[in-house]
Amino acid sequence: MTAVLQVNRVSFRYGPQKPVLSGIDFAIERGTFLAVAGPNGAGKSTLIRIMAGILKPQSGNILLEGRDLNSYGIRGIAQRIALVRQEFVPAFGFSVMETVLMARTPYYDQWGFESHQDRDLVLKALELTDTARLASRALGSLSSGERQRVFIARALAQNTPILLLDEPTSFLDLKYQVGIYDLLKSIQADMAATIIAATHDINLASQYCDEALLLYPLAEGPEAPADGSRLPDRPQFRVGRTSEIFAPEEIQRAFGIRVFSGRVGTERFVLPLGTRAKDAHLPGLPT
Amino acid sequence: MQPLTPKILLFRTAVAALLLIAIMLACALVGSQDVSLRAVFRGPRDGATPSLDYEILMRVRIPRVLLAAMVGAALASSGVIFQALLRNPLADPYILGISSGAGLGAIIAVISGLSWTLWGRSPIAIFAFVGALGTVWLVWGIGRITGRHQVAGLLLAGVVVNAFFSAMIMFLVSIARGQQLYATIFWLMGNMTEEDLFVLWVGGGGILAGIVALFFLGPQLNIISVGHQDARSIGVSVERVELTAFAISAFITAVAVSLSGLIGFVGLIVPHAVRLLFGPDHRQLLPLSSLAGAMFLVVADTIARIVVAPAQLPVGVVTAMIGGPFFLFLLVRYSRRVYWPT
Repeated sequence: MTAVLQVNRVSFRYGPQKPVLSGIDFAIERGTFLAVAGPNGAGKSTLIRIMAGILKPQSGNILLEGRDLNSYGIRGIAQRIALVRQEFVPAFGFSVMETVLMARTPYYDQWGFESHQDRDLVLKALELTDTARLASRALGSLSSGERQRVFIARALAQNTPILLLDEPTSFLDLKYQVGIYDLLKSIQADMAATIIAATHDINLASQYCDEALLLYPLAEGPEAPADGSRLPDRPQFRVGRTSEIFAPEEIQRAFGIRVFSGRVGTERFVLPLGTRAKDAHLPGLPT
Repeated sequence: MQPLTPKILLFRTAVAALLLIAIMLACALVGSQDVSLRAVFRGPRDGATPSLDYEILMRVRIPRVLLAAMVGAALASSGVIFQALLRNPLADPYILGISSGAGLGAIIAVISGLSWTLWGRSPIAIFAFVGALGTVWLVWGIGRITGRHQVAGLLLAGVVVNAFFSAMIMFLVSIARGQQLYATIFWLMGNMTEEDLFVLWVGGGGILAGIVALFFLGPQLNIISVGHQDARSIGVSVERVELTAFAISAFITAVAVSLSGLIGFVGLIVPHAVRLLFGPDHRQLLPLSSLAGAMFLVVADTIARIVVAPAQLPVGVVTAMIGGPFFLFLLVRYSRRVYWPT
């Protein structure tokens, strides 16, 4: 198996004082579902945007199918990697059909219209995401869960082997969260897609993802090394099977909280407990 | 709503174009002086005497109707572009300072009492054109410094530059003398007096070429109006499209403003009205808005001409007075179809 996407010692900072990622180094094999987790500000979204080619890292690089990501160009990347961002309502009232069709924009003919092939891809994406019945509805009239399915449909219509998602289930209720993950899992299974999702929900990620990347926040302020790097004995991230990475002690270290954990079946679940939680004094909790 | 097909687009554009021609002809025949078409068809000379009807229609009315149509088309289509690029339904062609820049240029030309001409034109239009483009360039530059992808920085730069230049306009107006004051205020409120056919052809050709070029950016504008990153991740070269669209619409707005002064409301309400009736797809929104903007301004200018004849109202007063209530009616009638971001 060859790595479809390889992240080579990537470091990124937004300004001289604000390092976000340091020495991130991992590879993803084709058909893997990877969760990117970590506290706010640890760089989940930044890493997703770097892998989508939108941000350029100050050092390190990304290899897509063995070639530097930058050498593909905007359009070349878009043929291989689709990006789904957090659900939102666009400023203008486009319909579901119009929104999903936008994925085919770079392939329109010289008059700016889609081909039959484009239309077929769109209809297939609508069906896969169960949004075909909403095709003529305005995006703003849908529920958040439906709207997120439409954005996933737009990414599917892009017809790429790799799907990146930036917190796809934020703001969704439990039913929609599970619905989105079931959908992603079926896309992974049916289309052999490689899926990378930044997420806050460790329990859902444990249940659905094969692997996990946990980001720890970088030290800021005076202790931070000038070049934004971390001490060599403590890398900023860990990557591996979800069951290893989402071990309770690792989550406590990354998020700086206490967690209660248990087992559902093969996978663990974690429950964060603050000091004033009802069961905060339960015997057996780590302190 | 049915998805747009080339056939639907072509049909609707053709109907709108025919409607525009009909409106232009009708408006050219209306006025304080009755014009007989039969007299016009007899040609420029009626026997030995020059035909008054022919003179009025061909030398006064038709140039004026043509000017109104092209200014209306330019303002409405650049309204469409600015709303898409700024992802803001409240944007209009003047939001980034074109109006105050043009106004300042025009007032400087009036106050300094320049008497030279270029191609037989007074320097007012040229100063206004330079002022408009210079201001847009300034605002765009500030916007790029404050954050390349941050629309808020660009909008704030526009607001601040607009406010500063408006203050300078007020200052210059308050020290202007009687005759200058009248000329300035008349210009600021917008007027449609252009008899030089050469200027009409050049301006009209520039505006038409700009609108046609913008049409081909329609699909990219759709995804850019959803989001900068969305566009980039589906494979659109966002920076290139944005810069092209911005430059073209700034140019056609500057042409329109320097020919006719500041006419408000067209660039804001026409794109909205068309969007409410036909949906937000820019491939259709742009051609239909430019034709609707032309119709709207031709009618508004005709009203401005006849309502207090033989005197004339500034056309900007008319566009605001009919535009406002008409837009409210549309908003109430169709708002259930559109969903505003919360």
